Amino acid sequence: MVHIRHTETRSVTLIWALCACVCLAPMSGCKQEAMELHQLVPAEVNGWEAAGEGTVYDRDTLFDYIDGGAELYLAYGFRRMLAARFERNGHPAIVADVFDMGSSEDAFGVFSAERQDPEAGIGQGSEYAAGLLRFWKGRVFVSVWAEEETAATEEAVRALGARMAEAIESSGPPPQLLNLLPSEGLADTRVRYFHDHLSLNLYYFLADDNILGLGERTEAVLAPYETAEETMRLLLVRYPTAEEVGRGLDGFLAAYLPEAGDTGIAQVESGSWVAAQSVGDVVMVTFDAPSRRRAEELLSAVRTKLEEQTT
Amino acid sequence: MSKSESGMTRRDFMRLAAYAAVGTAVGAEALAGEGMPPAKRSRVVLVRDENAVTAAGEINADVVRRMIDRGISELAGADDPVQCWRQLVGTPKLVGIKTNVWGNLPTPAAVEQAVEQRLRDAGAAKGRIPKTDRDARRVLADCDVLINARPLRSHHWSGIGGCIKNHIMFAPRPSAYHPDSCADLASVWSLPPVKGKTRLNILVALTPLFYGRGPHHWDPRYVWPYKGIFLSRDPVAVDALGAHLLAAKRRLELGEDKPITPAKHIRMAQVRHNLGVADLNRIDFVKVGWEKDALI
Repeated sequence: MVHIRHTETRSVTLIWALCACVCLAPMSGCKQEAMELHQLVPAEVNGWEAAGEGTVYDRDTLFDYIDGGAELYLAYGFRRMLAARFERNGHPAIVADVFDMGSSEDAFGVFSAERQDPEAGIGQGSEYAAGLLRFWKGRVFVSVWAEEETAATEEAVRALGARMAEAIESSGPPPQLLNLLPSEGLADTRVRYFHDHLSLNLYYFLADDNILGLGERTEAVLAPYETAEETMRLLLVRYPTAEEVGRGLDGFLAAYLPEAGDTGIAQVESGSWVAAQSVGDVVMVTFDAPSRRRAEELLSAVRTKLEEQTT
Repeated sequence: MSKSESGMTRRDFMRLAAYAAVGTAVGAEALAGEGMPPAKRSRVVLVRDENAVTAAGEINADVVRRMIDRGISELAGADDPVQCWRQLVGTPKLVGIKTNVWGNLPTPAAVEQAVEQRLRDAGAAKGRIPKTDRDARRVLADCDVLINARPLRSHHWSGIGGCIKNHIMFAPRPSAYHPDSCADLASVWSLPPVKGKTRLNILVALTPLFYGRGPHHWDPRYVWPYKGIFLSRDPVAVDALGAHLLAAKRRLELGEDKPITPAKHIRMAQVRHNLGVADLNRIDFVKVGWEKDALI
């Protein structure tokens, strides 16, 4: 359940909502949570007023709202979202989209998917640029977007985001897998967290086929490491069972790096090095390493971190 | 099943790029698979005019009309654009225009008007010319000839929004085509209201979007005045070049960090659905007009 900090301005609505929840609870838990998403959105900010109650979409109907854009959210644990529009005479409209992602890890994940801009200081992680504010807190991911950016819309977008972040009472942990990333050289604002191979292909095309055996039960991070000359990438995949770890590593080596043999490392067409190993429940792969030594060092650093965390 | 259909990897694409760089046809053969006769080629015309879009971002309708005239002449290989239109569409019972109404970047009115005017000049339309996007299944169902016109933009899931994807509104349930990064979008072109009817694909690259963000996939920082229009009979070829252009722009502006995933639906349109030519080596690409910063 999304926990909400209640405000005076919403107290009347809240009482109604609580009554309604009690009445409707045996009928629909979904309805109850949908009303709570409404509670995160204020009725007015900086002169922009909510145009109606907004619309709730779930996994079956999200396509109706953002069509192909829905696939990003469905690739995580998306449950439902509220789309609310704010209008003010003589100013561009502002659209607030509030997503219940099911877990804080997946709220972080969908935030990480497109992260690139300066931190906005809202929620547990945020960014603002060109009229678009994105942030996550707890299991909620929020996008607030001005249809045209002006000084007034920027102020309102930021204020609206801050109000919604305040209304989300509970924070939540980011994915534990992030703790395995060595810090030296890490471009941490460009780390992506995801589950399936189609998402991986959006960030770094690997293969048409799902050669690592990724899916909704796996967790994965793709992290760039920068040097003055180039960017190498580290992919970590955490599997639910030891059997799946073995299948994932073997599948990758067979399809992508057959010449590596038992060493798990080879130089590829671009001249860079690719290396893959497993440790515990994690398969780790480096791409675009400038040398064999650099690839091995990075995997060794992950192994050390994992051992530190398990002892 | 061909290699191209079943399991291309990043390394396969590296090899293809290397083949292309040394000018061999080996990469082309590898990509073609079993679905496409080796001899088949497609023609795409790109027309650019530096006056097509003003500094304020407004589209110049007169310039756009001249660009389409020039493009259609290059495509059909004749000087008179009206004659070219006549050759292209014949004498249909009903010709319609499939547009795109996406709020941030719709098919420009200037393009719609230019096409409508030339259809009338060519005698292809005596009365009403139906045009729509979202209501295609109802409004365009009776057309025996279609003109497919839409802007070029990036798309979160399929890589690009282009001419292949533009016919998805003919499908009863568009989201059914989303699996595997929209790999089978081309199958929409086999639906009865669409099959065999599209005579011209116009991919509008006047102000393309090369990268989008947020649920609405829009960020004005990533729109640029390319001032171009692609025209082709082949929706696959025109999209392949559109994807090539967006990828080039992304590399230029964003580096290697935000590549366009090799748009699978374009490749599958060739190797699985035999809709057209995705292989750049098999496209006769004709560029006319403004040459600055063409990128491709």
